[in-house]
Amino acid sequence: MNSDRLVSDPHEQAEELLPWYATGQLDAGDRSMVEDHLSTCARCQRQLAVERRLIDEFQAVSPEADSGWARLRGRIEAPAPRRRKSVGDLATDLWHLLTRPAVAALATAQLALLAVAAALVPYFTTPAYEALGSSEASPSANVIILFRPEATVGDMRDTLKASGASLVGGPTAADAYLLHVPAGKRPAALEKLQADDDVMMAEPIDEATR
Amino acid sequence: MSVDRAASRPRTVSQPGAPDERELISRVSGRDLAAFEKLYRIYQPRLTRFLSNLVQRPQLMEEVLDDTMMVVWETAQSFRGTSRLSTWIFSIAYRKAIKARARWPDPIEDQPDLGQPSPDPNPHQLLQHRRLHDALAAAMQSLSADHRAVVDLTYFHGLGYREIAEVMDCPVDTVKTRMFHARRRLRQAMPGSVSDWV
Repeated sequence: MNSDRLVSDPHEQAEELLPWYATGQLDAGDRSMVEDHLSTCARCQRQLAVERRLIDEFQAVSPEADSGWARLRGRIEAPAPRRRKSVGDLATDLWHLLTRPAVAALATAQLALLAVAAALVPYFTTPAYEALGSSEASPSANVIILFRPEATVGDMRDTLKASGASLVGGPTAADAYLLHVPAGKRPAALEKLQADDDVMMAEPIDEATR
Repeated sequence: MSVDRAASRPRTVSQPGAPDERELISRVSGRDLAAFEKLYRIYQPRLTRFLSNLVQRPQLMEEVLDDTMMVVWETAQSFRGTSRLSTWIFSIAYRKAIKARARWPDPIEDQPDLGQPSPDPNPHQLLQHRRLHDALAAAMQSLSADHRAVVDLTYFHGLGYREIAEVMDCPVDTVKTRMFHARRRLRQAMPGSVSDWV
């Protein structure tokens, strides 16, 4: 049988799968196990009837009439807000490049160039003086990130909070941002950032020489 | 075996991932706006229902739904077809909803929408049906957002437990445990004894 958990009691195993048995969503192994148990367990047979009643209740739905399509279409066709058009186009093009295997190598090369360029940004933009009382320098960028064009400011903030990253610089000419995460936590932070659906690209970069 | 084969036939639950949906998403990846509109009209009611379990502010839910479909529009070419289309879209919606909930941690507590009960000409049956509907809605409200989502993905959207684990990015055992707990709460909430209405 295909149940992933080591539940020793066959009754418990079958009982917890009854909802998906009732909706026809079990694979052959699970289904066979449940049917074998059902043939001998009156309690689970009654439970199955309950499951069917619950499904009927949850299926009794009237689809929403208002679709909101006009609103979404307006969003698709509107120029990206708070974003220079050329930059938005570049980000979209970059994403398209990344998702086409035939040009993957080229896209990777472009990303490498982008990362190098971004790594140099703090070097060139760091002021030559420190304000009085600033006892420590601001952290250097060790991650470069490119958000998806549709990501909102709230999405970006949530993404940074979730990964423990802080914003160091950007947007760069390619609309990328430079982040700092504590060195020991960078692999885990990168994993989170790369898994985030608001993130188009997140790559490590070496700290800029100061 | 003694189980009645006819009675054990699965309930007809909406089956996502039909071939026409695959064709739609393929056209969407080619930036076909008409295909995207069709896909939107299929998924808007389903996402509204799914998200109502997770995000209870109507405006925020609308925003999450739009954000979800924008991601579908922008990244359709990344859908590889290794899972059902519905699983992929619900995964995006779930992540968006979790982020939205983090921004708005105090949702307005409303009765979750179980859908409108079917019209019933018999007043007695209508009353019974109404009582059951209300009791289940109240029981759903007593569950956590994640428990509600598992219940709805199972009973309404017809996802298997592995697909739900994929949508919610959690172990399959967590899905089973949530469902087990939720079913107990729903059964307890049903009016009268089980034999009254089974």
